[in-house]
Amino acid sequence: MSRENDGFVFHRGLLQAVLDVVYRAINFFVTWDHLPTLLGAANLSVFRDRLRAHNLHHTGYGTTSPGWSPGNDRWRSADGSFNNLDHPRMGMAGARFGRNFPLPECVPDSVDDLLEPSPREISEELLARDQFIPATSLNLLAAAWIQFETHNWFSHGVPESGNEFKIPLKAGDEWPKEERIGGYMKIRRTVRDETSRESWLGAAPTFRNLNSHWWDAGQIYGSDRARQMQIRSGVDGKIEIGNDGMLPADPVHPGADLTGFNDNWWVGLSLLHNLFAREHNVICDGLKTRYPTWIDEELFQRARLINGALIAKIHTIEWTPGILGHPALDFSMHANWSGIPYRVLRAVLGKNSEAAYGIIGSPTEQHSAPYAMTEEFTAVYRLHPLIPDDMDVRRLDAAEVEHCKLVDMQGGVSRKFMETRGFANLMYSFGTAHPGAIRLHNYPNFLRQFTKDGQPLLDVAAIDIMRDRERGVPRYNRFRELVGKKRVKTFEEITSIPDAARKMRAIYKGDVDRVDLMVGLLAEDLPDGFGFSDTAFRIFILMASRRLKSDRFFTDDYRAEVYTNFGLDWVHKNGMKSVLLRHVPQLGPALEGVNNAFAPWNVLRG
Amino acid sequence: MALILSIPGLVRVALVRDPDELLRVNNAGRVARSLSGRGGLFNRSVAAKLAVFRTPDGDIWPAFRDRHDPLRAAHQATLESALSDVEPLLQRIAPEIAELGNYIRDGHAHRSMGVVVQQAIGRLFFADYIASEESYAAARTLQAWLSAWPLRAYWIRRSGALKASLDRIEATSRGNMACAHATALAMGNIVKSIDLMRELVLRGDSLAKIEPQDALLRTLRAPARVVREARDGDCVGLIRLRSRTLVLLAVEDARQQRASDPGFAFFADAWNRCPAHSIVPALLIEVWRAARTNKKHSATGTPPQGGRPKSQPP
Ligand code: HEM
Ligand code: HEM
Repeated sequence: MSRENDGFVFHRGLLQAVLDVVYRAINFFVTWDHLPTLLGAANLSVFRDRLRAHNLHHTGYGTTSPGWSPGNDRWRSADGSFNNLDHPRMGMAGARFGRNFPLPECVPDSVDDLLEPSPREISEELLARDQFIPATSLNLLAAAWIQFETHNWFSHGVPESGNEFKIPLKAGDEWPKEERIGGYMKIRRTVRDETSRESWLGAAPTFRNLNSHWWDAGQIYGSDRARQMQIRSGVDGKIEIGNDGMLPADPVHPGADLTGFNDNWWVGLSLLHNLFAREHNVICDGLKTRYPTWIDEELFQRARLINGALIAKIHTIEWTPGILGHPALDFSMHANWSGIPYRVLRAVLGKNSEAAYGIIGSPTEQHSAPYAMTEEFTAVYRLHPLIPDDMDVRRLDAAEVEHCKLVDMQGGVSRKFMETRGFANLMYSFGTAHPGAIRLHNYPNFLRQFTKDGQPLLDVAAIDIMRDRERGVPRYNRFRELVGKKRVKTFEEITSIPDAARKMRAIYKGDVDRVDLMVGLLAEDLPDGFGFSDTAFRIFILMASRRLKSDRFFTDDYRAEVYTNFGLDWVHKNGMKSVLLRHVPQLGPALEGVNNAFAPWNVLRG
Repeated sequence: MALILSIPGLVRVALVRDPDELLRVNNAGRVARSLSGRGGLFNRSVAAKLAVFRTPDGDIWPAFRDRHDPLRAAHQATLESALSDVEPLLQRIAPEIAELGNYIRDGHAHRSMGVVVQQAIGRLFFADYIASEESYAAARTLQAWLSAWPLRAYWIRRSGALKASLDRIEATSRGNMACAHATALAMGNIVKSIDLMRELVLRGDSLAKIEPQDALLRTLRAPARVVREARDGDCVGLIRLRSRTLVLLAVEDARQQRASDPGFAFFADAWNRCPAHSIVPALLIEVWRAARTNKKHSATGTPPQGGRPKSQPP
């Protein structure tokens, strides 16, 4: 028994072992994305098992065990504790990020190498957007959605001053003079984990997740009881909504809505937070009609469970196949949620098989480590190129188009922007605009010179690079190896983006092993239909299933006694489109004929 | 120049023997102490061997911890400072020193010389540490495990000897990983030195002729090899290391090219400096002296130089 992983071990079945060997042989000749749909989907499940066996590593909890509160058995606690009744700290707010690689692989470079090559140079030469490259198969809600979701899963907190990284600036760099300290650009460090270190951690640094790690819609409901109480109306389980039908302002975070988690706020997030706050309240109404004796607390907690499951479902079978448009993936994601559509195969695989009947409602399982979000997961979700610098704001009732800057729709001015343009118009505008493609040379420029309250001026692109280094996330080539792909030997093997290999070679001084993870992920040639790299996808295969499979409320406790029959039915029958149409019925024509709500909608006029 | 051998699927290894090169590789940022086992079957088998040097809690023995492991550095510093107060420590182990001196001079002892060495080392950590034939056998098993060919290694593991030895060493070391390392692995070098001292004595009248400092220089031995892994590809000086190369630092070979510098055996100027780098030479010198002066002592040893009391009874 490995104490490091708190006693969790992966058990592989015979069928899995056989498939593993078979697919090693197949993949020698063909990659998964070139196989017929069913074989491709089976290939993905083989990858997932390998990853479950080798790519989950515990780093200790870093929290103390919280006390039991009544209701913890029946619904999610505010901070995510007691999701696992035997290991109450697992996944709770404040618990440490885990790792997808053995801990000795997750050690930051020593001081000399850490700043090499300069993250600012990478930001300028490889990331800066020359011209907007759109992701034409998606709409901008897809970009807001994934940020909305990452805000559910994790946050490293807001960096504080002291002991900053000093990034050298080249002659001619336009970084403002007044922001320089002794000629350098400063990057604050990630908030430190001050809890005591287990001796087996070795040199791997640890960090704590401010939010609960579970897929519990924490972005809406918060990750502690105080925040949860703050957003509630106190009546009929509902979330507080202003007279204008919108979320109220957060008194301590100017421009942001009062909601569970509202860091890096902009109208994209506000749209989704408002949408699902409304959804919550409608669910409360439905529950109250059926269970008139339930008090506010019970209505709130049950609606929270149902709303959270609906969001997870939308993410699994709508957003994901939207951004990763491959038939094998589409098949797999539906199978994750509801199983495979073949009766005979279901019977053969048996009732507890997650492949046959879906992860939802199957037995809870942690595989080889206690559930936790990981640093590597955070790293592959650095998808800032999704954000455009400009967008066209449309109106449902007029043909006119207003060209707006994204920088004027975020931070302190977000609420004002929403008020003046209107919720429905903005939802429509997001549905009809494209996000950026997740590629090199497509990093939003406003984020490369970004003003955030209480922070020095930020080049978020340089920060993204620095964060992965600081947190000991392996660089691109080793990362590939550790997720089960071959290392590359040349820059050309990574990318066919014109001139990118040459530029990368120059910056990384010909050393392909030094390529930063994010650079490699943005440069990599993609499988057909994919919106992001196959390398990032490996982490995703593992973690997307894990968010469901490890969570009692999606597995053992996904049942009527916990969710109510009404709740299960609600999750089953609804999707992004029905939610949109319920709360913004004016969107009917724009959504007509649109199969996936994250694909571009119809432009009605003009 | 380093020897590099790479056979796909089997082995990817570099052997470094030149002293300067060795120090440079040891100091290279991309060369790490922990082994992933990637690079070939041989790499995997070496990694699997070192992986056993962990407590049941997963705590790693100090000589296998990574350079930037904060606990490693802290323990190294604490131990180095504890071992730097050489005189009182040597007094504490005076009976063992006397016993070793007798062995060098007369060639016989009441018990294995290794037991005495192990006890001497153990007592640097705990004044009441007691070594026995069993605890020394455990140390030898662990040393054999490290150098064993696959079949023998398989047998050591399969027979339960490996686990039993680890358990015994960890128990006698009371959970102190540095003590475990010293009394199981590092002591092997001291045993070698004592044997070499004995050989010197056997050559006629060396005992009287060779001064203690000289005896030390002639008999000090470094570990034959310590291992590292190049995680990513790197060029260190003239050596081009591919990613996942198992790097063998032939410390003893290199030391022989620097025989006048006892510090070399201990990486005395490097990040991984052995915390015993001053006590071990002092101990060997003292043993030689004891052999020269302590003419008529019995093997169980009344203390040399008159008045030193015997410490805990064995
Ligand atoms: C207007 C929109 C956005 C703004 C203003 C914004 C801003 C920021 C800032 C300031 C940081 C913190 C950098 C630091 O570590 O110091 C950050 C981190 C991050 N952002 Fe964004 N971002 C936006 C959109 C997105 C989107 C669409 C995604 C897509 C998934 C995303 C994913 C992330 C991730 C994964 C992190 C790392 C969080 C962590 O370290 O815990 N962001 N962002
Ligand atoms: C002739 C005797 C000895 C020699 C030649 C020797 C040599 C070395 C060498 C070469 C290393 C570095 C290994 C590597 O980096 O992989 C080392 C590490 C170490 N040695 Fe020794 N050693 C000896 C005896 C001892 C003794 C008696 C002790 C304890 C009392 C000891 C404690 C340690 C420890 C704790 C480390 C790990 C240092 C770290 O934190 O990196 N050694 N030794």
